[in-house]
Amino acid sequence: MRREPARGRRSGDDVSRASAAGLQLEVFPPGDDDLGVSTRAQFVARAVVAGGALTAGGVLVAGLPRIAVSAPSPAQDQKILNFALLLEYIESGFYAEAFAKGKLTGNLLEYVTIVRGHERAHVAFLKGALGDKARKEPKLDFGETTSDPEKFTTAAIALEETVIAAYNGQAANLTKGTLNEAAKIVSVEARHAGWIRAIAGRNPAPNATDQPKTGAEVQAEIKRTRFLRAG
Amino acid sequence: MSDLTLGELDRDGAIREAVEQVSGETRTAFLGRAAVGGAALLGALAAPGRSEATAASDVAILNYALTLEYLQAAFYTETERFGAVGGELKRVPPQLGAVERAHVEAIKAALGRAAVKRPAFDFQGVTEDQSKFLRTAVAFEDLGAAAYKAQAPRIKSSALLAAAVSIHSVEARHAAWMRYLAGATPAANAFDQGKPESEVRAIVASTHFIVRHPKSTASKRPKYTG
Repeated sequence: MRREPARGRRSGDDVSRASAAGLQLEVFPPGDDDLGVSTRAQFVARAVVAGGALTAGGVLVAGLPRIAVSAPSPAQDQKILNFALLLEYIESGFYAEAFAKGKLTGNLLEYVTIVRGHERAHVAFLKGALGDKARKEPKLDFGETTSDPEKFTTAAIALEETVIAAYNGQAANLTKGTLNEAAKIVSVEARHAGWIRAIAGRNPAPNATDQPKTGAEVQAEIKRTRFLRAG
Repeated sequence: MSDLTLGELDRDGAIREAVEQVSGETRTAFLGRAAVGGAALLGALAAPGRSEATAASDVAILNYALTLEYLQAAFYTETERFGAVGGELKRVPPQLGAVERAHVEAIKAALGRAAVKRPAFDFQGVTEDQSKFLRTAVAFEDLGAAAYKAQAPRIKSSALLAAAVSIHSVEARHAAWMRYLAGATPAANAFDQGKPESEVRAIVASTHFIVRHPKSTASKRPKYTG
């Protein structure tokens, strides 16, 4: 390890743990055109339903994790890919801005230099796959997370974790051909997560599995970042 | 849709116990919701067998995955036992060993009596030498991620697919970590390619690590595959 984990800073893990008890796999709810901008009570309600399998001590008492899968179809693929495109726009914008601001050095500079290219390639791939159905790039505001190395690291971990959980959560909802392509992206996101966590001195792979998140859960995480500007 | 509980699937607590062994230093931090959450998803591996027959092709894929997990688990477990790895690598064998053992237990639970038996291994000294260990770990983890990736679209059961992709991305994290420690680029490409089973099995055979199935006379080390 480059350095020992900083015990006090676990916000990234809080993000990835938020739905550890839930095992719902479903397509994000209808009316998703304002992803991450206008999420409201319905998502909160769903998040509550998804939890509840664990006690505070981590002992499983009465878990009834539910797996709800929507039958794959080309139309559904398109919605999911547009959802993925939104996430890739955010990642790509985040890394591009962090690189442009020039405040990162050493391992972080190496990381951002390489990873921004990956995310740009993911955006280009998804836009190509969606054609004229591709959503527009959202307005983004990253605040100090692209100039302050500590904040950058925390935000990068949170973003990568959320994106992994998002792709994993949609795997069973995709047609096999689209899944084949998405799988080539998600493991790169997982490599990014392992990489940035290693740089930060945090456990690169703290769990035996990467928990999936529903579309609604991912929306809630994205909303929490405040990177998306309504408008 | 299927409802399931870990309690039903994991009666002897083997999956949870294996998952909870994840890491020495970070045990306290991860013993809680996250670790058990991992167990819950691994428990989902066993869901289809409970209420409906698992497709023969899914059984074959799971047994193939089990063979790779046996290999990884034995590799890290043996390295930890020999104690030849130190410094910043010291926590790797116990931590990755615990994760890979958890994968083994979960897949075995899913397969029940259909599970292939653990092969006999001879790691040719790579578990006793730090640099060989690290190089092999990079190759194994890149290979594991590529193997799961190629199988994912072939899995029929949605529950098994969800569990498999949740393992797939963990293998990719491991690959990035091992590459970082080895001074190699953790994510070399924007897109990771999968590897078909025939290719993966040929690479495994070329290592001679599985002594029961020496299919090749090649003596080269596994290549970096990312």
